[in-house]
Amino acid sequence: MTYEDDKTLAEALKTAREAGRACALATIVGTRGSTPRKVGARMLVDPTEGLTGTIGGGCGEAEVIESAYRVLKTGFAERVRVDLTEDFTTWSPAVCGGVMDVFVEPVEMQTGDQEQLSEESRTRAPDR
Amino acid sequence: MSTSDAASPNTLGPFEVSQLMLTATANGGSAASGTLVGVSDHNLIGGRIALVSNPEDELTRKGALGPTQLNEAGFAELMAAIDDRRAKDGIRTLEVNNEKFEFYVEIRRPIRELVVVGAGHVAQPMAHIGALLGYQVTVLDDRPDFATRERFPDAKRLVRADFADPFAEVTLHERSFLILVTRGHKYDYECLIRALRTNPRPAYIGMIGSRRRVRATYLQLLEEGINRELLASIHAPVGLDIGAETPEEIAVSVAAELVMLDRGGSGSSLRDLEQVTSRFFRDPNLSQGENEGGRREGQSNEADT
Repeated sequence: MTYEDDKTLAEALKTAREAGRACALATIVGTRGSTPRKVGARMLVDPTEGLTGTIGGGCGEAEVIESAYRVLKTGFAERVRVDLTEDFTTWSPAVCGGVMDVFVEPVEMQTGDQEQLSEESRTRAPDR
Repeated sequence: MSTSDAASPNTLGPFEVSQLMLTATANGGSAASGTLVGVSDHNLIGGRIALVSNPEDELTRKGALGPTQLNEAGFAELMAAIDDRRAKDGIRTLEVNNEKFEFYVEIRRPIRELVVVGAGHVAQPMAHIGALLGYQVTVLDDRPDFATRERFPDAKRLVRADFADPFAEVTLHERSFLILVTRGHKYDYECLIRALRTNPRPAYIGMIGSRRRVRATYLQLLEEGINRELLASIHAPVGLDIGAETPEEIAVSVAAELVMLDRGGSGSSLRDLEQVTSRFFRDPNLSQGENEGGRREGQSNEADT
């Protein structure tokens, strides 16, 4: 992810946090073969605001969004293996020929501990 | 860093880590974060730590994964990732007490900015190649028709600026690489003297121009009280000597200089440095041991340039 992607995601996370909303965050942690996005690509699933970022679009993304809603409900992280090779015989736009390993985790509302940590990081912010 | 078996209460969330990483890199530092994504103990999944290295190489540990040994292994892995310039994001395996943990590591390096002053012929390929090299590119000009999105599709920022006060909207800092390629000697000079007076000064100031023009500029700068040491830090004429003539070639020459300074290269032809052919032919054992194909390769290399 570029600095700009990081910034966009951080903004979306902040918006959700300030609204006290739980979200799910999907990260591509591994790929094999040809995939639309590479390791590090992220997508935030905010039940109110929708999606921020993409992990490739198409069928693969739909699978991950499904997982994200499960994660939001259970509060437990999941590993989703998105196989883009199986779609080969279909007309799906997700026929890339690769496999993506996606980590989907809950982004919970803040706790006291975390508040303190972000406070600390703010005091270390650049002064320019 | 307690030895609790549940996910550590000190573990970082995605929000905290994204803030940490952004702050660190915008500050000129590096950062690495690591998340447990594959663990047999379900309570530890999603545990996350981060290691932040400021520009002075001072390290700060953030968060915890769980048991102390696991934390230590995690931070060691992050340390290795920050130290290795070629390290890539991805899953590493931590091994603690014969148990394996899948640990997803992400690395962020300091942001560097390429500020191209002047939006003319050289600026276009310069912005393009700068973006290719991973710089955040800003293009400045006083003519709105030149600093346009169509002409500079890869630039992050296009700024209309008065050359009398060119950096009003663009903050220069230690990770700014400034390229002065305005349409006129006079504008280059005005921007140069302001860049030299900013604090902190940019990492690199390059100015295009012939030897004569550069000399005239320096004389003027000396009159303005700029000291010689500062003058010597300016890269003018800009770029490496590769015989560049067209705007695209000049951009390659400047880009080559930027890479050379960043990586500590010599700017010489590798062929001349390595002298593979002359070494190869001088050593009779080597040349006899090689087949004809090897020799032919050596000779064609020599004739290449």
